[in-house]
Amino acid sequence: MVETVVVKNKKEKFADIPVFSEKKEYRPYGVQETGLAFVGHEISEDRSSMNQFLHYDQLYTIRHGWNSKFFIGLLDGKIMGTRCPKCGDSWVPVRTHCWNLNCNLQKTEWMEMPLTAKVHTWTVAGWSGRSSLKRLPIILVYANIGTSKVAMANELHGLDPWDVEFGMPLKIVFKPKEQRIGAVNDFHFEPADSWEPLPMNPEKERIKKLVEPVYEWVKTLK
Amino acid sequence: MSRKVCIIGGATTPFDYGPTGFESIEGGAAECIRETQQDVPEFSLRDLDLMIYSHFSVHFGHQLAPEWIIHDHLGLVGLPHYRVENGGNTGGSALYAAALAIMSGQHNVVGITGWETMDSVSQSQGSEFIAMASDIRYELMVGGIYPIYYAAMANKWMKENKVTEEDVATISVKNKNNAMDNPKAQWYRNEHRYITVDDVMNSRLISYPIKKYDCSLMSRGVAFLLVCSEEYAKKVNPDHYVTVDGMGLSSCTIRAGDRLNNPGWSKRYGPGYPGMTEFAACRCSAEQAYKMAGINDPLKDIDFGEIHDAFSTSEAQIYKALGLADEHTIAKFIRDERTSLQGDIPMNPGGGLLGYGHPVGATGLMSTIECYYQLAGMIPQKHLSRKTEVSDPECGIVNSHAGTGTSISNFILRRH
Ligand SMILES: [Zn+2]
Repeated sequence: MVETVVVKNKKEKFADIPVFSEKKEYRPYGVQETGLAFVGHEISEDRSSMNQFLHYDQLYTIRHGWNSKFFIGLLDGKIMGTRCPKCGDSWVPVRTHCWNLNCNLQKTEWMEMPLTAKVHTWTVAGWSGRSSLKRLPIILVYANIGTSKVAMANELHGLDPWDVEFGMPLKIVFKPKEQRIGAVNDFHFEPADSWEPLPMNPEKERIKKLVEPVYEWVKTLK
Repeated sequence: MSRKVCIIGGATTPFDYGPTGFESIEGGAAECIRETQQDVPEFSLRDLDLMIYSHFSVHFGHQLAPEWIIHDHLGLVGLPHYRVENGGNTGGSALYAAALAIMSGQHNVVGITGWETMDSVSQSQGSEFIAMASDIRYELMVGGIYPIYYAAMANKWMKENKVTEEDVATISVKNKNNAMDNPKAQWYRNEHRYITVDDVMNSRLISYPIKKYDCSLMSRGVAFLLVCSEEYAKKVNPDHYVTVDGMGLSSCTIRAGDRLNNPGWSKRYGPGYPGMTEFAACRCSAEQAYKMAGINDPLKDIDFGEIHDAFSTSEAQIYKALGLADEHTIAKFIRDERTSLQGDIPMNPGGGLLGYGHPVGATGLMSTIECYYQLAGMIPQKHLSRKTEVSDPECGIVNSHAGTGTSISNFILRRH
């Protein structure tokens, strides 16, 4: 005997569906999703070897979910961090649950960080991923923002690459509002107004010598 | 006490960028197994009771579950298989998985096949793919690629430990020149020249203090390693087997900047450690491996190693994390060339990632295979000369390393 069960109530939703009312597109010209396509091939003279060219384009949706406040903050020119109400540790990049095992995955609170930071360590890049080549040389620093217990990577602008120093004070500078996209490159670091570089020394000379050909190379890029 | 884990053979294809003659991954895997069978004629594919596949990124392979293609091609349908992926430590993690399978008693003869085909995209695109193993929400868009993260870590480490650009350049010179004795090494097959510290110092800036010749190579390559119980080792290769006497696996943060003040590490090693400079997961996994293998003084008890020199700077950092030197002795340790073939603990006699190459999923297996060849006395038949043979080794260390030090394994291998 089979009993028929009538479901009267709709299943309760795990979460309310967000209503996405603000939408923006800033797709570079020519970017499109074509999916998978074989777009060409080559065959060796002796016809023993073949290479085939497969093009694959994919549009991803990064659902920031509980981390969203940080990325929305960037659009508003703010650095949002999180803080554990139990142990007081705070972070940028954010953690939605505390890292301290004693706090047992305590949910954290949002806090706005001051737009100041301090260099923990640095490097001067003369090579990078395809999308960054034209901006070389790049000074990349890891810096603690506000009270953050962790250091965050970002570019340092506004000084010669050989002048960057450990421990130097920084300010956070955002791009103009209309250029922001809600990603970490909406902002960069610059030296704090009070900061003055040290005079030239052998290490600075060395870095200068290493980056000079990089400036020349970048000029040759289309 | 769990069962002993043995290594009885293994081989790689030549590592290269572009055409190698081993273009298809399944063809390369088959050739690695054929070479292993030449060394161990008693080994039959029918003896395998598990195959573990070691592969990092399907972005490079343009194929999901590519291990299924290899497995099928090898005629192993029916045999259990799965893939291990753990960044640059994929090979080490696959060996860890194979060892657990043997130790548990569930399996007796486990193959590991690893590969990467990084030349299926351009070099700069490849750098970006690898960087997708960083936290892309926070790091990829700010010019971030792995050499830059490593450079930021190494720059501070070198200052704190008084290690110079020239010091780390000697590591690159050592490994690339070792590779000149190894016909399967990418450096031997491509640049094919002996280099000096000046060559490294004058090579193109990648990210200060790392230059082009401080960096390992993007590669295409396949490797096969044969792991088994002692019973099987005694049966098929009684004269040339080694035992995995110790192993350790540990982890650290994905973003290097999150290592400052990390409560887990502070509790274990004291406040401030590892900062952005030390490889805590290497120290921790080495401690596990040393304890298991009964090693009290690694410098005395270990004869040589094959370690993860993705950058010359990281090899130096690894020396310290393995406990071979401390902040007071590390600079002198490097300057005294303790890790050259004439030194007391040669490192990367096979060429390492700097010389042999770094096809990620095959890399940790390559290191293990080179360590095995040394311990099994097979260098004269595998290298071009005895120049890169460690003299009478009994104990070697294999190190495999991922992310910015995000996952690291260490293995102690002993000659039987
Ligand atoms: Zn807490």
